[in-house]
Amino acid sequence: MIPIDIRPDKLAQEMLDYSRKLGQGMENLLNAQTIDTGVSPKHAVYSEDKLVLYRYDTPEGATAEPVPLLIVYALVNRPYMTDIQEDRSTIKGLLATGQDVYLIDWGYPDQADRAITLDDYINGYLDRCVDHILDAHGIEKINLLGICQGGAFGLMYTAMHQDKVRNLVTMVTPVDFKTPDNLLSAWVQNVDIDLAVDTMGNIPGELLNWTFLSLKPFSLTGQKYVNMVDLLDDPDKVKNFLRMEKWIFDSPDQAGETFRQFIKDFYQRNGFINGGVMLGGQAVDLKRITCPVLNIYAMQDHLVPPDASKALKDLTESQDYTELAFPGGHIGIYVSGKAQKEVTPAIGKWLNEHLG
Amino acid sequence: MAEEGFFDDSWLDLQRKYWETWSQMSRQAMGLEGDEGKLTNPWESAVDNWWKALSPAVSDSSRTFMDKLMEQGKVFFRFGEAFATGARDDAYASDGMAFWTQALEDIRQRFSGSLDGGDNVMQQIMSFWEMPLDNWQRMMSSMSPMPGDALRNMPHEHLNRVLSAPGLGYTREEQSQYQELIRAAIDYQQALQEYSGFYARLGVKSVERMSSYIQGVIDSGKSIDSARSLYDHWVMSCEAVYAEEVATPEYAKIHGHLVNAQMALKRRMAVMVDENLGALNMPSRSELRTLQDRLQETRRENKQLRHTLQALEKQVAALAATVPTTLPPTIKAAAPSAKAQVRKKAAAKTTRTD
Repeated sequence: MIPIDIRPDKLAQEMLDYSRKLGQGMENLLNAQTIDTGVSPKHAVYSEDKLVLYRYDTPEGATAEPVPLLIVYALVNRPYMTDIQEDRSTIKGLLATGQDVYLIDWGYPDQADRAITLDDYINGYLDRCVDHILDAHGIEKINLLGICQGGAFGLMYTAMHQDKVRNLVTMVTPVDFKTPDNLLSAWVQNVDIDLAVDTMGNIPGELLNWTFLSLKPFSLTGQKYVNMVDLLDDPDKVKNFLRMEKWIFDSPDQAGETFRQFIKDFYQRNGFINGGVMLGGQAVDLKRITCPVLNIYAMQDHLVPPDASKALKDLTESQDYTELAFPGGHIGIYVSGKAQKEVTPAIGKWLNEHLG
Repeated sequence: MAEEGFFDDSWLDLQRKYWETWSQMSRQAMGLEGDEGKLTNPWESAVDNWWKALSPAVSDSSRTFMDKLMEQGKVFFRFGEAFATGARDDAYASDGMAFWTQALEDIRQRFSGSLDGGDNVMQQIMSFWEMPLDNWQRMMSSMSPMPGDALRNMPHEHLNRVLSAPGLGYTREEQSQYQELIRAAIDYQQALQEYSGFYARLGVKSVERMSSYIQGVIDSGKSIDSARSLYDHWVMSCEAVYAEEVATPEYAKIHGHLVNAQMALKRRMAVMVDENLGALNMPSRSELRTLQDRLQETRRENKQLRHTLQALEKQVAALAATVPTTLPPTIKAAAPSAKAQVRKKAAAKTTRTD
């Protein structure tokens, strides 16, 4: 038996099939000129600088729970990932469980925002968004859902403002930044962050994209496009793919001073584990978190390995700590069909059980 | 309709004829050493022409997307072309393992400098391993006025002598700055070479990994019969080798050196640009940053004060709501004195703030 037996006629047929799919895909691509993202109706309720706080409309006929839920997304990439399309929307799923959902869109920082610090984000912008919601509802505490880096923000915020947080949910959140399988962390150990920030001012989104794509360069910048050709004849699948492409490459620049502190304090010094993180002159101590915590991680996460998230378990003083393991990856946890059935309903259920 | 509009059957027929001719030529070429690498792939040029004609009508995002589809399509068909039965000589056709064994030897020879780059198939296969480097260069090009590969082949044998010469006279500081810039450029070039060298080594390992896989195919009595399957296994082999190697401390150093060297080079450029802006009496980047820092500090304080003021207003409103509208006579008598004290305090505070 010949181990590689590719006959010319079969190869020619493969090429023809590929060409035919490209041709069909062309029409679908031309029809997919506008890539819409963010499908659930929402309206802006507060804005400050480039930040906009949105409140999602409660579905018709539904009654929202009395404790609103604020979603804090990462500064890297854009928050519309949580509501990317009609049948793949974490937001929609949460609304269906009766949550009154708010979401912070951090916007796109430019060089004028270079000096915004981590303290400005946590104790400034985020705290003022929380205050706005508390005032609007006439309540004293809200629920907080932090995603990825936004989860780290949620942890810092809750540690410093526990009196304003009823329940904390963290999704694919890095806590231990130095687990052996954390490639991003390994790579950044020898990078002179001060030099990078002093040189660039803000850190360009392109640099972050390159870093993320470098985690699996052949699959993420090559093979996935070949795989995509098989789906090109389906207009819906083309649109879905283009939505994801848009999101992947839609990386805002990072405010320089915030990036400096976040990378040095967490990726290089592992601040949640080793301590020493200071915001506005105050120490961030996760032991000050006493509210119920739901910590969700993805078992095949190549950006935030499971152990990086699971480290949270022993770091807070919460007497009500729950973990939820999702059998998927970092992105699949919001957009996969399985996540719509398992993750979002579980968050809603957990929050509804913790209303008191 | 789609095929008529964008990809009509006559084009596909042309492709089919092309491939029949190609296959025939390949069969004729069997046994003719070296000729196989010179066969050009008509599919690539035809697709390129087709795309050139249509791409202006496509939106930017879709164009980028289609570019990638075709780029990767070419890569995996090159694989298929390289291994197509009949396209190569008898030894390869009868034993795919022989190809990989030879390939490994070719790569080793290339690194030892005893094999020309030429047109051979391995060059196409190994070019796959330039993808990470290409990604870096594209990213750098997007952030810089200078092309990402501008320094890739910069000669610097004689530069060390120039750099070691001390600056003289009135322009010695400027000379020194240029020397620093060139040193930074050389360091970046070395970092880039380390980076590309690392990937070249991984290329060898990935061919070895693929050899093991092919051996497994032989042992199982099965065969790889499509370009797609071959491509997928090659990607898997490369990704597996990559995942192992980039997790090492050695790679972390190479990665750090590359980023740091690029930043140091950009920093030197920025310093020189700032110097020139200063000479033109224009605001420099460093001056703007100082202003940004001060402005942000002022805004931070301003927002904090506003927040405190709002909290105080709420407290005052809450207190006012609890004060009875009709006060007892004794309290009324004391009231003016208390009011005056508040005014005094307020006045003193205003003075301090100003």
